[in-house]
Amino acid sequence: MTPLKVVFFLRTPVALGFPWIFFDSLIAHVALREELGERYYSLPTKTPIDRIPDLPLKRWRDVYVASVSVFEHEAELAVYQFYKRGDFPFPKGKIRRGSGFFKDFIIRAAYVPAHKVVFYATGELEEVERLVKRVSALGKERNVGFGAVKEVVVEEVEEEWGLVRGGLAMRPIPVKLLRRYEDAAYLAYKPPYWAKESVDLCAVPFTHVELA
Amino acid sequence: MSSWLDRWREYFLSWYDEGAVEEKAREAAEFACRYVDGGVVSVSGGKDSMAMLHIIAAMCREDVDVFHWDHGPALMPRQIEEEILQNIRAVAPRARLVVRRYSLGVSERARVDWRPWYREFFSTLEELGYRHHILGVRADEGKRRRVRGRVVDRGRWVEVHPIYSFTWRDVWAYIFRHGVPVPRVYYVYAQHVGWDKARLTTFHDREFEKYGNQIDAVFMWREKNYREEKKRGVETGGDIGRGFQL
Repeated sequence: MTPLKVVFFLRTPVALGFPWIFFDSLIAHVALREELGERYYSLPTKTPIDRIPDLPLKRWRDVYVASVSVFEHEAELAVYQFYKRGDFPFPKGKIRRGSGFFKDFIIRAAYVPAHKVVFYATGELEEVERLVKRVSALGKERNVGFGAVKEVVVEEVEEEWGLVRGGLAMRPIPVKLLRRYEDAAYLAYKPPYWAKESVDLCAVPFTHVELA
Repeated sequence: MSSWLDRWREYFLSWYDEGAVEEKAREAAEFACRYVDGGVVSVSGGKDSMAMLHIIAAMCREDVDVFHWDHGPALMPRQIEEEILQNIRAVAPRARLVVRRYSLGVSERARVDWRPWYREFFSTLEELGYRHHILGVRADEGKRRRVRGRVVDRGRWVEVHPIYSFTWRDVWAYIFRHGVPVPRVYYVYAQHVGWDKARLTTFHDREFEKYGNQIDAVFMWREKNYREEKKRGVETGGDIGRGFQL
């Protein structure tokens, strides 16, 4: 396992569904998509998949040594609003899309106009590189053009910065694994990030921490 | 942030005179005074109801009955709820404040199933027994509100809308001119979605998914992972940490 720096160069701003993108989640997504192929897109919604493939990343206790996104150059969040037609079975004839049941969705995408997104992780260089090369876009609303990736560069770094860098947490870390922390919130800290079981009281990324 | 806010403050203060907001407020107070006896001022804590409460308390009567509905911790972060109650007490210190909390509001179910909310809310209004409910509804807010009218007889009670003719500019102008306190989260949203679209609704609520509440997860991320078991003596997501960064 090697300490790595993964840099995504972007063509378009990256839209977010949460203040950060989690690198282990991204790798898990690509690995699962690769493993399941077309079946990935028809997963059952009532019994969602609860198995995460083996990731080529180092684990420290229950946490992957993989940081959240670091946006460069640091830019302020902005919001882009657009309208989406509902995916209902539309009836024949005239319907109102401005109001009522078939009203169009207002989608508000919070986006960061960053030029590059950096992640730090510790893992198998070749496997991580192979997986990240399969990422064509980052973040949310990729289908409307957000987060398009121009190039990905994976390089070795001297130190392991996937968990902590310069005393700052680089990802959510459960407070039970910390000796000291500055700020905490209930956050998911392992994939799948949508699952309740992954949520615990964690140190907030980019706040001061000390590992136990 | 402060220079952005200062610029807008300047704009709204100039609009106060230009838009004749003082006259509109006097007319609204005169109208509301007719319904205050035997009526209740319903205050959500949002900008419209706070401006309306200030108008009524300052120009009509101070010892009004005020009704506030607490949505519960799953839908309304506790620090915002506390801020709302403080604001109401600051604006109308002599008011008789009635607060009722949504019984399902401590449950995550409240975020996905809003039908029980409507049942409980309307039965609470009925139980309170007020004849007139004075609301901060504005015609400017949308087509359905525009056709509703200033006085609506609902049978069991009558809804009265004193600030019906106010625009969003008028409301903000009144707030800046008179220093009416509103939850700080307004400024976070106003900066990103605009002053006209910044509204105080429940957070992470599926009912508002159609209306662009996806940004709640970015701006109100601390509250996203609310869990029911936290009500048992342990903190809720919203009560931990440093709160908003303004």
